[in-house]
Amino acid sequence: MDESWLSAFKKKPPADWAESLRVQLQESDMPDVLPDISNRWPFRRLITTLAILVLAVGIFSVPALRASAVSFLALFRVVNFVAVPVDPGRLRALDDSHLNLERLIGDHVQVLADPGPPKSVASTNEAEAIAGFELKMPSWLPPDTKIIEVAVSGERAARVTADSKRLEEVLDTLGITDLRMPAGLDGKAVTFRVPPIVMVRFEGGGRNPRRTRFFQAPPPEVTMPAGVDSSVLGEIGLRVLGVPKDTARQFAAAIDWNTTLIVPIPPTAQSFRQIEIGGKPAIAISYQPPDESPTTMLLWSDGVRVFGIQSIQSYEQVVAMADSVR
Amino acid sequence: MAFEQVMPERLTRWITAAPDWDAVYRAELPRVYNFFRYRLGDVPDVEDLTARTFEKAWRARDRYRSDVAGFATWLLSIARNVATDHIRARRMHLPLELAEEVPARSITPEDAMVQGSDAERLGGLLATLPERDRELMALKYGAGMTNRAIARATGLSESNIGTILHRAVQTLRDRW
Repeated sequence: MDESWLSAFKKKPPADWAESLRVQLQESDMPDVLPDISNRWPFRRLITTLAILVLAVGIFSVPALRASAVSFLALFRVVNFVAVPVDPGRLRALDDSHLNLERLIGDHVQVLADPGPPKSVASTNEAEAIAGFELKMPSWLPPDTKIIEVAVSGERAARVTADSKRLEEVLDTLGITDLRMPAGLDGKAVTFRVPPIVMVRFEGGGRNPRRTRFFQAPPPEVTMPAGVDSSVLGEIGLRVLGVPKDTARQFAAAIDWNTTLIVPIPPTAQSFRQIEIGGKPAIAISYQPPDESPTTMLLWSDGVRVFGIQSIQSYEQVVAMADSVR
Repeated sequence: MAFEQVMPERLTRWITAAPDWDAVYRAELPRVYNFFRYRLGDVPDVEDLTARTFEKAWRARDRYRSDVAGFATWLLSIARNVATDHIRARRMHLPLELAEEVPARSITPEDAMVQGSDAERLGGLLATLPERDRELMALKYGAGMTNRAIARATGLSESNIGTILHRAVQTLRDRW
Protein backbone atom coordinates (compact mmCIF):
# COMPACT_ATOMS: atom_id res chain seq x y z
CA MET A 1 0.00 0.00 0.00
CA ASP A 2 1.38 3.41 -0.96
CA GLU A 3 2.29 5.39 2.14
CA SER A 4 4.24 8.18 0.48
CA TRP A 5 1.45 10.67 1.17
CA LEU A 6 2.16 10.17 4.89
CA SER A 7 5.50 11.87 4.40
CA ALA A 8 3.93 15.02 3.02
CA PHE A 9 4.26 16.87 6.30
CA LYS A 10 8.03 16.38 6.46
CA LYS A 11 10.16 19.44 6.03
CA LYS A 12 13.89 20.07 5.85
CA PRO A 13 15.13 21.99 8.89
CA PRO A 14 16.10 25.57 7.96
CA ALA A 15 19.80 25.48 7.05
CA ASP A 16 20.83 28.64 8.90
CA TRP A 17 19.09 27.55 12.08
CA ALA A 18 20.61 24.05 11.82
CA GLU A 19 24.11 25.49 11.42
CA SER A 20 23.59 27.92 14.28
CA LEU A 21 22.49 25.11 16.58
CA ARG A 22 25.42 22.94 15.52
CA VAL A 23 27.88 25.71 16.36
CA GLN A 24 26.13 26.37 19.65
CA LEU A 25 26.40 22.72 20.66
CA GLN A 26 30.00 22.50 19.57
CA GLU A 27 30.99 25.59 21.54
CA SER A 28 29.36 24.31 24.69
CA ASP A 29 32.09 21.69 24.81
CA MET A 30 35.35 23.62 24.95
CA PRO A 31 38.16 21.98 26.95
CA ASP A 32 38.46 22.96 30.59
CA VAL A 33 41.81 24.70 30.12
CA LEU A 34 40.21 27.23 27.81
CA PRO A 35 38.29 30.11 29.34
CA ASP A 36 34.98 28.97 27.96
CA ILE A 37 32.76 31.91 28.77
CA SER A 38 29.92 30.46 26.73
CA ASN A 39 29.63 27.44 28.98
CA ARG A 40 26.46 26.81 30.89
CA TRP A 41 28.34 26.64 34.14
CA PRO A 42 30.91 29.38 33.76
CA PHE A 43 31.58 29.54 37.52
CA ARG A 44 32.69 25.97 37.54
CA ARG A 45 34.85 26.63 34.53
CA LEU A 46 36.31 29.75 36.10
CA ILE A 47 37.26 27.89 39.23
CA THR A 48 38.52 25.02 37.13
CA THR A 49 40.58 27.53 35.20
CA LEU A 50 42.05 28.77 38.45
CA ALA A 51 42.75 25.26 39.64
CA ILE A 52 44.23 24.17 36.34
CA LEU A 53 46.27 27.33 36.15
CA VAL A 54 47.83 26.51 39.48
CA LEU A 55 48.10 22.86 38.55
CA ALA A 56 49.51 23.72 35.18
CA VAL A 57 52.44 25.49 36.71
CA GLY A 58 53.06 22.30 38.62
CA ILE A 59 53.00 23.90 42.01
CA PHE A 60 51.40 21.10 43.92
CA SER A 61 51.89 17.31 44.44
CA VAL A 62 51.38 14.67 47.30
CA PRO A 63 48.13 14.86 49.29
CA ALA A 64 48.95 14.75 52.99
CA LEU A 65 47.06 17.46 54.80
CA ARG A 66 45.88 16.76 58.33
CA ALA A 67 43.08 18.59 60.11
CA SER A 68 45.45 19.64 62.85
CA ALA A 69 47.49 21.55 60.34
CA VAL A 70 44.62 23.80 59.32
CA SER A 71 45.60 26.48 61.80
CA PHE A 72 48.88 26.85 59.94
CA LEU A 73 47.08 27.45 56.69
CA ALA A 74 45.91 30.58 55.00
CA LEU A 75 42.35 30.58 53.72
CA PHE A 76 41.68 32.53 50.56
CA ARG A 77 38.13 33.40 49.50
CA VAL A 78 37.31 34.67 46.04
CA VAL A 79 35.19 37.80 46.28
CA ASN A 80 36.72 39.88 43.49
CA PHE A 81 37.26 39.27 39.83
CA VAL A 82 39.87 40.85 37.62
CA ALA A 83 39.82 40.41 33.87
CA VAL A 84 43.08 39.68 32.04
CA PRO A 85 43.31 39.31 28.27
CA VAL A 86 45.19 36.14 27.47
CA ASP A 87 47.43 35.04 24.65
CA PRO A 88 45.58 32.30 22.71
CA GLY A 89 48.91 30.88 21.53
CA ARG A 90 49.94 30.34 25.12
CA LEU A 91 46.68 28.59 25.92
CA ARG A 92 47.22 26.34 22.92
CA ALA A 93 50.71 25.59 24.17
CA LEU A 94 49.25 24.64 27.54
CA ASP A 95 46.92 22.28 25.77
CA ASP A 96 49.70 20.91 23.59
CA SER A 97 49.89 17.15 23.73
CA HIS A 98 53.66 16.99 24.08
CA LEU A 99 53.30 18.80 27.39
CA ASN A 100 50.56 16.35 28.39
CA LEU A 101 49.35 18.32 31.37
CA GLU A 102 46.85 15.70 32.33
CA ARG A 103 49.52 13.09 32.78
CA LEU A 104 51.87 15.59 34.34
CA ILE A 105 49.51 16.62 37.12
CA GLY A 106 47.17 13.63 37.22
CA ASP A 107 49.21 11.78 39.83
CA HIS A 108 49.27 14.78 42.12
CA VAL A 109 45.61 15.56 42.48
CA GLN A 110 43.35 14.00 45.06
CA VAL A 111 39.68 14.58 44.35
CA LEU A 112 37.99 15.06 47.71
CA ALA A 113 34.47 15.69 46.43
CA ASP A 114 33.05 15.13 42.96
CA PRO A 115 29.27 15.46 42.74
CA GLY A 116 29.02 14.59 39.04
CA PRO A 117 27.09 16.68 36.53
CA PRO A 118 24.60 19.35 37.65
CA LYS A 119 21.12 18.08 38.45
CA SER A 120 17.87 19.75 37.46
CA VAL A 121 15.46 20.30 40.35
CA ALA A 122 11.78 21.15 40.47
CA SER A 123 11.94 24.54 42.19
CA THR A 124 14.14 27.19 43.74
CA ASN A 125 13.08 25.88 47.16
CA GLU A 126 14.44 22.45 46.32
CA ALA A 127 17.64 24.06 45.04
CA GLU A 128 18.02 25.94 48.33
CA ALA A 129 17.54 22.72 50.29
CA ILE A 130 20.16 20.88 48.25
CA ALA A 131 22.67 23.73 48.02
CA GLY A 132 22.30 24.69 51.68
CA PHE A 133 21.93 28.43 51.22
CA GLU A 134 19.12 30.88 50.60
CA LEU A 135 18.86 31.98 47.00
CA LYS A 136 18.96 35.58 45.94
CA MET A 137 16.98 36.35 42.81
CA PRO A 138 16.58 39.25 40.39
CA SER A 139 13.58 41.34 41.43
CA TRP A 140 13.40 42.70 37.86
CA LEU A 141 13.23 40.62 34.70
CA PRO A 142 12.74 41.64 31.06
CA PRO A 143 9.08 41.46 29.95
CA ASP A 144 7.64 37.94 29.35
CA THR A 145 10.61 36.28 30.99
CA LYS A 146 10.05 33.25 33.18
CA ILE A 147 12.04 30.54 34.91
CA ILE A 148 12.34 27.40 32.81
CA GLU A 149 14.99 25.45 34.68
CA VAL A 150 16.65 25.30 38.09
CA ALA A 151 19.73 23.15 38.58
CA VAL A 152 22.30 22.52 41.29
CA SER A 153 25.91 21.47 41.01
CA GLY A 154 27.20 19.92 44.23
CA GLU A 155 30.36 20.78 46.11
CA ARG A 156 33.68 20.03 44.49
CA ALA A 157 36.98 19.78 46.30
CA ALA A 158 40.47 18.70 45.36
CA ARG A 159 43.86 18.64 47.03
CA VAL A 160 47.14 19.03 45.19
CA THR A 161 50.75 19.25 46.27
CA ALA A 162 53.68 21.38 45.17
CA ASP A 163 56.40 19.87 43.02
CA SER A 164 59.19 22.21 41.98
CA LYS A 165 60.57 19.79 39.41
CA ARG A 166 57.22 19.68 37.61
CA LEU A 167 56.88 23.45 37.75
CA GLU A 168 60.24 23.97 36.16
CA GLU A 169 59.41 21.45 33.46
CA VAL A 170 56.29 23.39 32.55
CA LEU A 171 57.98 26.81 32.75
CA ASP A 172 60.82 25.60 30.56
CA THR A 173 58.36 24.23 28.03
CA LEU A 174 56.66 27.62 27.87
CA GLY A 175 60.01 29.43 27.60
CA ILE A 176 59.72 31.15 31.00
CA THR A 177 63.23 31.09 32.44
CA ASP A 178 63.27 34.01 34.85
CA LEU A 179 60.77 32.68 37.41
CA ARG A 180 61.06 29.80 39.82
CA MET A 181 58.79 28.39 42.52
CA PRO A 182 59.04 30.14 45.91
CA ALA A 183 61.42 28.37 48.28
CA GLY A 184 59.82 26.13 50.88
CA LEU A 185 56.67 25.35 48.90
CA ASP A 186 57.87 22.06 47.46
CA GLY A 187 55.82 19.18 48.86
CA LYS A 188 53.20 21.41 50.51
CA ALA A 189 49.52 20.71 49.97
CA VAL A 190 46.80 23.08 48.80
CA THR A 191 43.06 22.45 48.91
CA PHE A 192 40.49 23.88 46.52
CA ARG A 193 36.84 23.91 47.52
CA VAL A 194 34.04 25.05 45.23
CA PRO A 195 30.73 25.12 47.18
CA PRO A 196 27.43 24.09 45.57
CA ILE A 197 26.38 26.29 42.64
CA VAL A 198 22.76 27.01 41.75
CA MET A 199 21.79 27.90 38.21
CA VAL A 200 18.42 29.44 37.35
CA ARG A 201 17.61 29.57 33.65
CA PHE A 202 15.20 32.17 32.37
CA GLU A 203 13.65 32.39 28.94
CA GLY A 204 11.54 34.97 27.20
CA GLY A 205 10.84 36.25 23.73
CA GLY A 206 8.57 33.60 22.17
CA ARG A 207 9.79 32.16 18.89
CA ASN A 208 13.35 33.36 19.35
CA PRO A 209 13.82 32.74 23.05
CA ARG A 210 16.20 35.10 24.81
CA ARG A 211 17.96 32.93 27.33
CA THR A 212 19.55 34.02 30.55
CA ARG A 213 21.43 31.87 33.04
CA PHE A 214 21.88 33.19 36.55
CA PHE A 215 24.46 31.50 38.78
CA GLN A 216 25.18 31.92 42.47
CA ALA A 217 27.37 30.21 45.03
CA PRO A 218 29.22 30.92 48.25
CA PRO A 219 32.76 32.09 47.48
CA PRO A 220 35.17 29.35 46.39
CA GLU A 221 38.02 28.74 48.81
CA VAL A 222 41.69 27.96 48.39
CA THR A 223 43.59 26.79 51.47
CA MET A 224 47.35 27.24 51.19
CA PRO A 225 50.29 26.82 53.57
CA ALA A 226 50.74 30.02 55.61
CA GLY A 227 53.63 32.27 54.63
CA VAL A 228 53.54 31.48 50.94
CA ASP A 229 54.10 34.56 48.81
CA SER A 230 50.96 34.37 46.73
CA SER A 231 52.03 37.25 44.50
CA VAL A 232 54.91 35.12 43.15
CA LEU A 233 52.52 32.31 42.39
CA GLY A 234 50.15 34.81 40.80
CA GLU A 235 52.95 36.18 38.66
CA ILE A 236 53.78 32.69 37.47
CA GLY A 237 50.13 32.11 36.63
CA LEU A 238 49.90 35.36 34.68
CA ARG A 239 53.05 34.54 32.73
CA VAL A 240 51.72 31.09 31.93
CA LEU A 241 48.63 32.78 30.49
CA GLY A 242 50.88 34.90 28.29
CA VAL A 243 50.86 38.23 30.12
CA PRO A 244 54.11 40.11 29.30
CA LYS A 245 56.89 39.96 31.90
CA ASP A 246 56.78 43.56 33.20
CA THR A 247 53.00 43.75 33.19
CA ALA A 248 52.72 40.46 35.07
CA ARG A 249 55.16 41.65 37.72
CA GLN A 250 53.37 44.99 38.28
CA PHE A 251 49.98 43.36 38.24
CA ALA A 252 50.97 40.55 40.61
CA ALA A 253 52.33 43.05 43.13
CA ALA A 254 49.23 45.24 43.01
CA ILE A 255 46.51 42.62 43.28
CA ASP A 256 45.11 41.11 46.50
CA TRP A 257 45.55 37.44 45.65
CA ASN A 258 43.78 36.36 48.84
CA THR A 259 40.42 37.51 47.52
CA THR A 260 40.77 37.83 43.76
CA LEU A 261 40.17 35.42 40.94
CA ILE A 262 41.78 36.16 37.60
CA VAL A 263 39.31 35.77 34.74
CA PRO A 264 41.18 35.06 31.51
CA ILE A 265 39.53 36.92 28.64
CA PRO A 266 39.88 35.08 25.34
CA PRO A 267 40.54 36.94 22.09
CA THR A 268 36.99 36.16 20.93
CA ALA A 269 35.62 38.59 23.50
CA GLN A 270 34.53 41.85 21.91
CA SER A 271 35.01 43.92 25.04
CA PHE A 272 35.29 43.74 28.78
CA ARG A 273 34.97 46.39 31.41
CA GLN A 274 35.00 46.87 35.14
CA ILE A 275 31.62 48.11 36.34
CA GLU A 276 29.69 48.20 39.62
CA ILE A 277 26.75 46.01 40.56
CA GLY A 278 25.02 47.00 43.79
CA GLY A 279 28.04 49.12 44.67
CA LYS A 280 30.42 46.17 44.30
CA PRO A 281 33.07 45.77 41.57
CA ALA A 282 32.02 43.54 38.70
CA ILE A 283 33.32 42.40 35.34
CA ALA A 284 31.21 42.68 32.21
CA ILE A 285 32.35 40.67 29.19
CA SER A 286 30.71 41.02 25.78
CA TYR A 287 31.25 38.48 23.06
CA GLN A 288 29.48 37.05 20.05
CA PRO A 289 29.91 33.41 19.15
CA PRO A 290 29.74 32.73 15.38
CA ASP A 291 26.16 32.82 14.06
CA GLU A 292 24.79 33.56 17.50
CA SER A 293 23.41 36.56 19.30
CA PRO A 294 25.67 38.99 21.15
CA THR A 295 26.11 37.69 24.68
CA THR A 296 26.92 39.43 27.93
CA MET A 297 28.47 37.84 30.97
CA LEU A 298 28.62 39.56 34.35
CA LEU A 299 30.59 38.37 37.38
CA TRP A 300 30.41 39.98 40.78
CA SER A 301 30.22 39.27 44.49
CA ASP A 302 28.47 40.89 47.42
CA GLY A 303 31.10 39.48 49.78
CA VAL A 304 28.85 36.64 50.90
CA ARG A 305 27.86 35.17 47.57
CA VAL A 306 29.43 35.09 44.11
CA PHE A 307 27.09 35.76 41.18
CA GLY A 308 27.20 35.36 37.44
CA ILE A 309 24.76 36.18 34.67
CA GLN A 310 25.14 34.99 31.09
CA SER A 311 22.51 36.32 28.72
CA ILE A 312 21.65 37.31 25.17
CA GLN A 313 19.37 40.07 26.45
CA SER A 314 20.66 43.58 25.80
CA TYR A 315 23.61 44.72 27.90
CA GLU A 316 21.42 47.27 29.69
CA GLN A 317 18.85 44.63 30.58
CA VAL A 318 21.48 42.21 31.86
CA VAL A 319 22.94 44.91 34.10
CA ALA A 320 19.43 45.84 35.29
CA MET A 321 18.74 42.20 36.20
CA ALA A 322 22.04 42.00 38.10
CA ASP A 323 21.37 45.27 39.89
CA SER A 324 17.99 43.97 41.06
CA VAL A 325 19.36 40.79 42.72
CA ARG A 326 18.14 40.71 46.32
CA MET B 1 41.37 -7.19 34.46
CA ALA B 2 40.26 -4.21 32.41
CA PHE B 3 37.15 -4.37 30.28
CA GLU B 4 39.20 -3.81 27.13
CA GLN B 5 41.40 -6.82 27.89
CA VAL B 6 38.61 -9.38 27.94
CA MET B 7 36.50 -8.13 25.03
CA PRO B 8 37.33 -8.66 21.36
CA GLU B 9 38.91 -5.46 20.11
CA ARG B 10 36.33 -4.81 17.42
CA LEU B 11 33.43 -5.23 19.83
CA THR B 12 35.13 -3.05 22.40
CA ARG B 13 35.64 -0.31 19.84
CA TRP B 14 32.00 -0.50 18.85
CA ILE B 15 30.74 -0.31 22.41
CA THR B 16 33.10 2.30 23.74
CA ALA B 17 33.67 4.45 20.68
CA ALA B 18 32.26 7.93 20.87
CA PRO B 19 29.92 8.72 18.00
CA ASP B 20 31.06 11.10 15.29
CA TRP B 21 28.93 13.95 16.56
CA ASP B 22 28.98 16.01 13.40
CA ALA B 23 27.77 13.03 11.37
CA VAL B 24 25.22 12.17 14.01
CA TYR B 25 23.96 15.73 14.04
CA ARG B 26 23.58 15.86 10.26
CA ALA B 27 21.74 12.54 10.19
CA GLU B 28 19.54 12.95 13.21
CA LEU B 29 18.53 16.61 13.11
CA PRO B 30 15.90 16.13 10.36
CA ARG B 31 14.48 13.08 12.17
CA VAL B 32 14.08 14.88 15.47
CA TYR B 33 12.83 18.04 13.78
CA ASN B 34 10.17 16.12 11.86
CA PHE B 35 9.24 14.08 14.92
CA PHE B 36 8.24 17.36 16.57
CA ARG B 37 6.42 18.55 13.44
CA TYR B 38 4.31 15.40 13.31
CA ARG B 39 3.87 15.42 17.08
CA LEU B 40 2.91 19.08 17.52
CA GLY B 41 2.18 20.49 14.08
CA ASP B 42 3.70 23.37 12.17
CA VAL B 43 4.31 25.51 15.24
CA PRO B 44 7.19 27.83 16.19
CA ASP B 45 8.07 25.61 19.17
CA VAL B 46 9.43 22.89 16.85
CA GLU B 47 12.83 24.53 16.45
CA ASP B 48 13.17 25.27 20.13
CA LEU B 49 12.18 21.76 21.19
CA THR B 50 14.55 20.24 18.67
CA ALA B 51 17.35 22.41 20.02
CA ARG B 52 16.43 21.44 23.58
CA THR B 53 16.58 17.76 22.65
CA PHE B 54 20.05 18.07 21.17
CA GLU B 55 21.24 20.15 24.11
CA LYS B 56 20.07 17.44 26.51
CA ALA B 57 21.64 14.72 24.40
CA TRP B 58 24.87 16.70 24.14
CA ARG B 59 25.02 17.17 27.90
CA ALA B 60 24.28 13.50 28.52
CA ARG B 61 26.42 12.05 25.75
CA ASP B 62 28.88 10.56 28.22
CA ARG B 63 26.05 8.39 29.52
CA TYR B 64 25.13 7.10 26.05
CA ARG B 65 26.05 3.47 25.51
CA SER B 66 25.77 2.14 21.98
CA ASP B 67 25.30 -1.39 23.30
CA VAL B 68 22.13 -0.40 25.16
CA ALA B 69 20.26 1.48 22.46
CA GLY B 70 20.76 2.69 18.96
CA PHE B 71 21.65 6.32 18.88
CA ALA B 72 18.49 7.40 17.06
CA THR B 73 16.37 5.48 19.56
CA TRP B 74 18.19 7.13 22.46
CA LEU B 75 17.85 10.59 20.91
CA LEU B 76 14.17 10.12 20.16
CA SER B 77 13.49 8.91 23.68
CA ILE B 78 14.85 12.29 24.82
CA ALA B 79 12.67 14.02 22.20
CA ARG B 80 9.59 12.15 23.44
CA ASN B 81 10.24 13.36 26.98
CA VAL B 82 10.79 16.91 25.78
CA ALA B 83 7.51 16.77 23.83
CA THR B 84 5.63 15.35 26.80
CA ASP B 85 6.98 18.06 29.11
CA HIS B 86 6.08 20.70 26.56
CA ILE B 87 2.53 19.46 26.11
CA ARG B 88 2.07 19.22 29.87
CA ALA B 89 3.44 22.73 30.41
CA ARG B 90 1.28 24.09 27.61
CA ARG B 91 -1.81 22.66 29.28
CA MET B 92 -0.78 24.00 32.69
CA HIS B 93 -0.12 27.50 31.37
CA LEU B 94 -3.34 27.84 29.43
CA PRO B 95 -5.30 30.65 31.10
CA LEU B 96 -8.62 29.42 32.44
CA GLU B 97 -10.62 32.08 30.67
CA LEU B 98 -9.25 30.89 27.34
CA ALA B 99 -10.10 27.27 27.96
CA GLU B 100 -13.63 27.61 26.63
CA GLU B 101 -12.32 28.98 23.36
CA VAL B 102 -10.02 26.05 22.73
CA PRO B 103 -11.58 23.45 20.49
CA ALA B 104 -11.20 19.81 21.40
CA ARG B 105 -9.30 19.38 18.15
CA SER B 106 -7.18 22.15 16.69
CA ILE B 107 -8.58 21.50 13.22
CA THR B 108 -11.49 19.48 11.93
CA PRO B 109 -11.17 16.94 9.14
CA GLU B 110 -13.40 19.18 7.05
CA ASP B 111 -11.01 22.08 7.57
CA ALA B 112 -8.15 19.88 6.54
CA MET B 113 -9.99 18.82 3.42
CA VAL B 114 -10.35 22.34 2.15
CA GLN B 115 -6.81 23.37 2.92
CA GLY B 116 -4.42 23.74 0.04
CA SER B 117 -1.31 21.54 0.06
CA ASP B 118 -0.99 17.89 1.01
CA ALA B 119 1.34 18.94 3.82
CA GLU B 120 -1.25 21.27 5.28
CA ARG B 121 -3.96 18.66 4.89
CA LEU B 122 -1.91 15.99 6.56
CA GLY B 123 -0.80 18.37 9.31
CA GLY B 124 -4.40 19.21 10.02
CA LEU B 125 -5.48 15.58 10.02
CA LEU B 126 -2.66 14.51 12.34
CA ALA B 127 -4.00 16.98 14.88
CA THR B 128 -7.27 15.07 14.98
CA LEU B 129 -5.65 11.86 16.20
CA PRO B 130 -5.57 10.82 19.86
CA GLU B 131 -2.30 11.70 21.62
CA ARG B 132 -0.92 8.15 21.72
CA ASP B 133 -1.67 7.53 18.04
CA ARG B 134 -0.17 10.84 17.08
CA GLU B 135 3.02 10.11 18.97
CA LEU B 136 3.38 6.76 17.22
CA MET B 137 2.71 8.43 13.86
CA ALA B 138 5.39 11.01 14.70
CA LEU B 139 7.91 8.28 15.51
CA LYS B 140 7.02 6.25 12.42
CA TYR B 141 6.50 8.86 9.72
CA GLY B 142 8.17 11.94 11.20
CA ALA B 143 11.29 10.29 12.60
CA GLY B 144 11.26 7.30 10.26
CA MET B 145 11.60 4.66 12.98
CA THR B 146 10.77 1.03 12.37
CA ASN B 147 7.98 -0.65 14.35
CA ARG B 148 10.61 -2.64 16.19
CA ALA B 149 12.53 0.48 17.22
CA ILE B 150 9.28 2.15 18.28
CA ALA B 151 8.48 -0.91 20.36
CA ARG B 152 11.85 -0.66 22.10
CA ALA B 153 11.36 3.04 22.73
CA THR B 154 7.78 2.91 23.97
CA GLY B 155 7.56 -0.46 25.68
CA LEU B 156 4.55 -1.44 23.56
CA SER B 157 4.65 -4.70 21.64
CA GLU B 158 5.59 -4.58 17.98
CA SER B 159 2.28 -6.13 16.94
CA ASN B 160 0.35 -3.65 19.05
CA ILE B 161 2.20 -0.80 17.38
CA GLY B 162 1.44 -2.26 13.97
CA THR B 163 -2.25 -2.42 14.82
CA ILE B 164 -2.45 1.11 16.22
CA LEU B 165 -0.57 2.57 13.27
CA HIS B 166 -2.69 0.67 10.78
CA ARG B 167 -5.88 2.05 12.33
CA ALA B 168 -4.47 5.57 12.54
CA VAL B 169 -3.43 5.51 8.90
CA GLN B 170 -6.82 4.15 7.94
CA THR B 171 -8.50 6.99 9.84
CA LEU B 172 -6.36 9.55 8.06
CA ARG B 173 -6.99 7.90 4.71
CA ASP B 174 -10.74 7.99 5.27
CA ARG B 175 -10.57 11.68 6.10
CA TRP B 176 -8.10 12.61 3.33
